[in-house]
Amino acid sequence: MHEISLVRNIFRTLEGEFPADINRVRGIYLKAGLLSNVQPILMQNAFVAVLEDEPRYQQTTLYVEVLPILIHCDDCNKTTEVQQYRFICSCGKPSRNVVQGEELLIHKVEFTDE
Amino acid sequence: MNNGKMNSKPKSNQASVGAVQCENTTLNLLKVNDFVAKAIRERLPDVLVVNVCSSPGSGKTTLMQETGKRLAGHLNMAVLVGDPETERDAIRMRNVGINALQIVTGGMCHIEAQMIYQALDHIDLTGVDLLFIENVGNLVCPAAFDLGEDVRVTLLATTEGDDKPKKYPRMFLTSELMVISKADLLPYVPFTVENVTQDAREVNPDIEVLTISSTTGEGLDAWCAWLLARVEQKKGVLVA
Repeated sequence: MHEISLVRNIFRTLEGEFPADINRVRGIYLKAGLLSNVQPILMQNAFVAVLEDEPRYQQTTLYVEVLPILIHCDDCNKTTEVQQYRFICSCGKPSRNVVQGEELLIHKVEFTDE
Repeated sequence: MNNGKMNSKPKSNQASVGAVQCENTTLNLLKVNDFVAKAIRERLPDVLVVNVCSSPGSGKTTLMQETGKRLAGHLNMAVLVGDPETERDAIRMRNVGINALQIVTGGMCHIEAQMIYQALDHIDLTGVDLLFIENVGNLVCPAAFDLGEDVRVTLLATTEGDDKPKKYPRMFLTSELMVISKADLLPYVPFTVENVTQDAREVNPDIEVLTISSTTGEGLDAWCAWLLARVEQKKGVLVA
């Protein structure tokens, strides 16, 4: 249910951003941080389901890339990947300064020239 | 079907594609929600807004009822309560004199900022110091939606087990306070405050922790004091 609304959100966002070129969209590249709780397979299934209602995207492919969680430590100035949801820098200091992992972004759109 | 071919471009699996033009961009899918959340903050400069999250059945509504009784005479509070269906929770709160409005999400698993913004037109906030948003019972989706709140509070009932902060990290990562509810049941359930606090602080080192029971009243004075301090901080005046 949440994935369906996210897919609709993707379409509405693109229509707002590229109104003149919307029928030429062939590839949508999504970056989803691990904390966004977006599962690629569920997004793909939702995408196929929404296409029934929105046939103008029949020739469009969705690509979902899941990004790991990165935190930045102000003490040692290092960026560390969070493992097992332990928000602790390799130096031992806790940090909730999340620099990657919460995003839900369209980062690239492909258009056909036809 | 799509197989997530991240780096295969140009694509050739669709009807003949000529040249493919790429547009690199940064379009935030929650942009609309975050825009409306900002508008809510601007609309309520003198009201402390508290987003209360938890699983279903952890005692959010009961805590709202007890909080209303205890804070009556100290400050004015109101509640926007979200549920997929029924107006039962708002009725429960109105029965004890709380200014409450139900948001029926129509099956949706979370409240979005737009629903709050619209609800603000239907609730009288004159003189209100503290507005609770009782979110839909769910530890996953509500975590991603900023509702224009000043603070986010997550309830965790002792009956749910003390392993939840690690299972639902984003909820606890984005909360200022974890309230352990149903503390009166601690002798009967495998749950320790120490374990859950340690796990929650591995996810969010800054999270505050309170232990309460709406049944016995344990910890409710500390909870109300926490709220009063936050209201005073927001309004810049002493309230109680």
